[in-house]
Amino acid sequence: MDAFALTPEILGLQDAAARFGHERLAPSVRDHERVRSWPPDVVDVVHDFSSGADPLAKVVLLETLAMYDAGGLFAADIDGPAAATGGPGWLFVPPAGAPRRVEWAPGWPAIARVWVSDGGGDELSLIDTSAASTTEVDALAFHASGGIAIDLDGCPVLEERTLPVGGGAAVRGWARLWCAAVAVGVAQSAFDATVAYTTERMVFGKPVAYHQGNAFALAGLATDIHGARLAVRDAATADDGGFSATQAFLTAVDTAVAVTDAGIQLLGGHGFLVDHLAEKRFREARMLGLLFGGRDSAEADAAALVLDVPTSL
Amino acid sequence: MIPLDRRSREVVEEVRALGQEYMRPMGLEADRSAMPPPADHPFYLLCSRQSGLVSAQVGADEDPQSLAWRPLRALLINEESAYWDRGVALSLPGPGLGGAALRSTATPEQHDRFLQPFADHSRAHWGAMAMTEPGAGSDVARIQTRATKDGDEWILTGAKMFCSNAARADWVVVWATVDASRGREGHRAFVVEQGTPGFEIIKIEHKMGSRGYETASFVLDHVRVPAENLLGGEEFYQSRKGFKGAMNTFNITRPIHAVQGVGMGRAAYDLAAAFVRDEYPAQGRRRQRALERLAEIRRGLQTARLICLHAVWLAREGRDNALEASYAKLYAPPVVVRAVSTALDIMGEAGVRNDRMLEKLYRDVKILDIGEGTQQVQRLVVSRRLFNLPRDA
Repeated sequence: MDAFALTPEILGLQDAAARFGHERLAPSVRDHERVRSWPPDVVDVVHDFSSGADPLAKVVLLETLAMYDAGGLFAADIDGPAAATGGPGWLFVPPAGAPRRVEWAPGWPAIARVWVSDGGGDELSLIDTSAASTTEVDALAFHASGGIAIDLDGCPVLEERTLPVGGGAAVRGWARLWCAAVAVGVAQSAFDATVAYTTERMVFGKPVAYHQGNAFALAGLATDIHGARLAVRDAATADDGGFSATQAFLTAVDTAVAVTDAGIQLLGGHGFLVDHLAEKRFREARMLGLLFGGRDSAEADAAALVLDVPTSL
Repeated sequence: MIPLDRRSREVVEEVRALGQEYMRPMGLEADRSAMPPPADHPFYLLCSRQSGLVSAQVGADEDPQSLAWRPLRALLINEESAYWDRGVALSLPGPGLGGAALRSTATPEQHDRFLQPFADHSRAHWGAMAMTEPGAGSDVARIQTRATKDGDEWILTGAKMFCSNAARADWVVVWATVDASRGREGHRAFVVEQGTPGFEIIKIEHKMGSRGYETASFVLDHVRVPAENLLGGEEFYQSRKGFKGAMNTFNITRPIHAVQGVGMGRAAYDLAAAFVRDEYPAQGRRRQRALERLAEIRRGLQTARLICLHAVWLAREGRDNALEASYAKLYAPPVVVRAVSTALDIMGEAGVRNDRMLEKLYRDVKILDIGEGTQQVQRLVVSRRLFNLPRDA
């Protein structure tokens, strides 16, 4: 029951991250988006939190910070998704073949190394991008992480590895789990904001949330978030070549998309305005499912592993 | 992943062996004949002798601390037995849901009187619980079975349905009302013993699936039960605490009910996975599509299993799990219905053949979304807990 019984250390980290998120991240969400970064002192704290965190602690930390602002997390923990490669750098999973550019990566700090994992295989390349040409990208979400495209033409390859069978899926699995943890945080904050609004806002004589069609939908979404959280935490303690991590990614990003969609829908026109954060979370949830090869690559990896991982406990 | 200790693994292995030898064949036969296995089936006697599906939930070499494993092992046993046949699992001898009501409500004297006979292993014994009526299912406050005090006796009059194992039970815990206008406050639970005049089984229901256990309807025609059969005694009902206590029983049974779906979903998955291995082309788009759908089944089942385990783990830790128990019951059944349906998609026409068992699973599984509180009831419970949805909303 490791994934259920968080240690006092992890609970302490979760509590500290929540206080930090409440005091430092949440009040400046839109400012961070506008300047496309988080302040250095905020980044320092995130690094302190991450330092020495085991996988379960890390997913709890990411989930907690994402509840307050997920925008700068990719940049603040730029090496985090690629941790399973064993070295620093941004991880890129191209759709197919030899990639000519990284379509989106955090814009800060400067990316000197990019790991390229061929989607579906076990080949891993390390590319030196310290002298690469980059272009600022105005992306769907995560504006506080900057956002650049990196032209890989002419970039030297520092290393080419053939991982043991299944090694590629494990590398991609961890990056997906990183996203999945963020997705749970985004989903939870979207749900909380939706409940806060819809239990106050009146329509046809009672709060929006008290109409059974809406209440039932909210109950289902709360259940999905609970399940996604457990799936992410369980995957963080699993040793199955990235299968559980990839499965948790699919569960979490699908949940986040559904919850954030409802987060706009139940706010009505207000949800579409930037006055609320519902629209930001809606964009973030969708983008999380597109990184590191996206849903299709994840489905392919899960399919490749599914017959080899036993179903029984 | 969830680390299981040695005894828990042994428990699962014991169930697996019995499931393979007895439960699967008994379930298939019950499905074909549309009749549950007879009460004198040797398997029931075997289970009676060891007081359940496994020889002992807690091993002789385990320290008392390991008693904390009981609820989790109950979950494992339920998942594994439902893998082989949920209907037969529900037909196993024992006090059943009535036992859960007794343990949470009964006086010490009642506890001994009604549960002691289960120590007699010369034959199988069953208990049962009856709440649902023809006109009151999810809304239990609407039950109409009347309880009227007459001297040292109570007179029960009404009708009950969807009562598991009632026809073969030594006794049935019957919920009735002393005043239908008072809703749940008027409820009382009585132990009605088999053979009591006026207690008459009128029908063993014919069902689409889950035919391995009997689902009985019965009438209570001026049934006289002694006052000492009022569960918990009069004082138990003087506060809402009594009824709520009885309802808390379901905080354990809801995830256990839900996890049976995980077992059934696993069975469907294994059939579809074997079909892909044996019948699909070794590579190509069709195989890839099938593998992705198998992974989709696994995602739902794993999340459902985690939610069930978490709900029971909370109970083991002595923490309130009412919300999480409803999460389990809300999440698992529709996911499992979808899982079995997806398995059918993968097998196509081969899946509809009765000898392949998958079509049986599709018929069996739907009841999970209804029994022990429908999906809609769980949504009400979750809404009330999370954002105070008013009862009259």
